Amino acid sequence: MARWLAKLQHIDRRWLYLATFVLVLVPFIVKVPMPPGRASPTTRGIYETIESCPPDKVVLVDSSWHHGSAAENYSQFEAVIRHLCLRRVKFVVTSVGIEPIAPEVAQKVIEPIADEAGYVYGRDWVNAGYLAAGAPGAAASPLGIIIEGVCRDFHKFYPSDTHGTPMEKLPLMANVHSIEDVHMAFCVTYCPDPNWIQVVQGQFGVPVGFACMTIMAPQYYPYIDSGQLCGMIIGNTGAAEYEYLVDYPARGTDLTMASSFGNCCIILAAIIGNIGLWAGRKERKAES
Amino acid sequence: MTHPLTIWVGVIATLGVFSYLYKNNTLYRLVQHAALGATIGYTIVLTWTQALWPNWAKPIVQALDGTSDWTGALWLLALAPGCLWYFQLSKKYFWLSTFITSFFVGVAAGYAFKATLILIMPQIGASFKNLDPISIPGGLSWDSFFGCLSNLVFLVAMFTTLLYFFFSINTSNRVLRVPARVGRISLMVCLGGMFGATVMTRMAYLLERLRFLYMDWLRDQIIAIFTG
Repeated sequence: MARWLAKLQHIDRRWLYLATFVLVLVPFIVKVPMPPGRASPTTRGIYETIESCPPDKVVLVDSSWHHGSAAENYSQFEAVIRHLCLRRVKFVVTSVGIEPIAPEVAQKVIEPIADEAGYVYGRDWVNAGYLAAGAPGAAASPLGIIIEGVCRDFHKFYPSDTHGTPMEKLPLMANVHSIEDVHMAFCVTYCPDPNWIQVVQGQFGVPVGFACMTIMAPQYYPYIDSGQLCGMIIGNTGAAEYEYLVDYPARGTDLTMASSFGNCCIILAAIIGNIGLWAGRKERKAES
Repeated sequence: MTHPLTIWVGVIATLGVFSYLYKNNTLYRLVQHAALGATIGYTIVLTWTQALWPNWAKPIVQALDGTSDWTGALWLLALAPGCLWYFQLSKKYFWLSTFITSFFVGVAAGYAFKATLILIMPQIGASFKNLDPISIPGGLSWDSFFGCLSNLVFLVAMFTTLLYFFFSINTSNRVLRVPARVGRISLMVCLGGMFGATVMTRMAYLLERLRFLYMDWLRDQIIAIFTG
């Protein structure tokens, strides 16, 4: 028996890949009922801040993600944009950073949701476009200087939108000049830059929310604890929680269910591997 | 609606990358090089159209043809310090690049003082936690009790972890050995959590591709043909 069990630690990894592939596909093929939803305080923080947006203010959405992080940022971005449209909150999308492709990606996600909600471009939402701001990450990156400039005089840094339309020709932008006209800044990217917190929340006192990849979330928890971040959407789980709050299950819910199956597969593989290791040691002991 | 050809290209590229899980092969290397080439080409074009043209070249062109203020032509002056970066490629004239790097380091360092102060100070304030459940509004309850217990765990983890990294004194003596060990365990728990987050992200990458393969391709392209 022990000899047979010891073989478990030598299963070809390709069988494990295949098992994972098959298992995670199940929720896509067969509708698996989700357990009753709930939302963590970090996700709820973003939702409640948007809910409290007064009609004369806009939400600034910094969308600096692209296809490389679409695995999680797509569902997060989609959920928040849907909430903004359902709640009739006007929003301006910027892409400050190092991803010139980001405005195009954001446009493709927003357009169908905005059309469905009857949102008119220029009147209800604007895609301001890309603004080069050097490498993000460091507290001293030029990004902070650029964000501060955008906060003080939006039109100076964004004379036209991503399509080249002058800002003065967009009705929404007649009421958006600086950070004073913004209710909240929400950043969606692989790894949102702390400069947003430092400038928007620290200097101007406007709430800031993040949506990031799960891998990056641990480093932002201290900002939640200190109240510097009003909330954070973490990975697809956060997106699923947000979809639950908005009562519109979509991509995030699908992916979270599949992720649960994948995680079960990993846990099962870890248990099998450990049984094999234990049996192998027992066998060696018996032989010696 | 995505064009079917785009989906088919995406499918071939995705399966090409996944084929590496079986073994390294030509299709995988082809897709890898194609992705790299396309990314670089796309980024160069976008950097010009989205950044350099509207922010730098357009004001110069407009100033020179008289359609805007002459001050736009001053952007030509940015060429000189900008070109200094390229002297990093020369051994003989490397020293010229130090002017521009020192300028940027100076600006960054000055900004870092302000940024760090604004970012870190609220966190120092937030680390002063309440450990008295009776003083919490609402009085003594299970919620306030567990809230304070959580605060206690936070404080123990914070102080012991700081102690573990405090190299000015010897932490191997009898008094400090146990707290330093607790700090080490706290760190390992934290790193374990971070590793869990890494696994979740890798899983998300896989799921996003599988979702594409099943929903966008197999269901909407292949099965749809047979089911009409």
